[in-house]
Amino acid sequence: MSMKIIAAVAAGGALGTLLRYIINLAVLPSDYPYGTIIENIGGSFILGAVTAWFLTKKAPEWVKVGIGTGFCGGLTTMSTLASDTVMLAAREASTPVIYLGVSIFGGLAAALIGFYSTSFFFRGKGGTSP
Amino acid sequence: MTVIWLMSAGAAGAVCRYMLGMFFARKFSKQSIPMPMLLVNTAGSFGLGVFLSLYMQTIPLDAYDDPWFVTAGTGFFGAFTTFSTFAVEAVNLLRSGKRMPFLWYTSLSIIGSLMAFIFGFLLFSP
Repeated sequence: MSMKIIAAVAAGGALGTLLRYIINLAVLPSDYPYGTIIENIGGSFILGAVTAWFLTKKAPEWVKVGIGTGFCGGLTTMSTLASDTVMLAAREASTPVIYLGVSIFGGLAAALIGFYSTSFFFRGKGGTSP
Repeated sequence: MTVIWLMSAGAAGAVCRYMLGMFFARKFSKQSIPMPMLLVNTAGSFGLGVFLSLYMQTIPLDAYDDPWFVTAGTGFFGAFTTFSTFAVEAVNLLRSGKRMPFLWYTSLSIIGSLMAFIFGFLLFSP
């Protein structure tokens, strides 16, 4: 395990966490955890796209884990998803169901769309090049 | 100043997730579902439950003026757990036609993290 990889995960994690914090602060007036939804769906899209990208493009390991494990991992969160769900359950019975449903289906769909749109784009490019 | 703590805690959370993930990947290499992030997410949700219960005695929506909530809650446990890796791993199972492992991985991740959080929160509640 190289120091370069650890440093990349740390730097990516710090940046992803900072962006998550900024988004959380921005949606604070809404009194609803929209921030976590935006971060989890957006981060899943980026990681899906990045996964497809690295399948076709060669990149050093520290770049892959810096963006994937570090940045996308730091931007998205499962623990806050759990705490948001429980917090919403105390308000009204239907809100945590909607929150979880949007997060899960939105996140999985975003990862799928990110993956396939990126691989489609690169396959298209690869096909036209000589 | 809080932002420096937040970013350091986020960096530490991400590195812990990476190292623990590598460790679990070696330990559970033969499972049909990706165990590492399932275990990390469950553990991190449990940890956040314990932290919120001990430090805040409640589940806040907007405690961003509290430097400890921001550092430990948003920073460390937020970055230690991940949703994007969960989503991409689930989608990978689906893409390779592993429908039952996909259903197991998705439900265990969500229900496991929820249960772990609630358990952690209730564990030290008066």
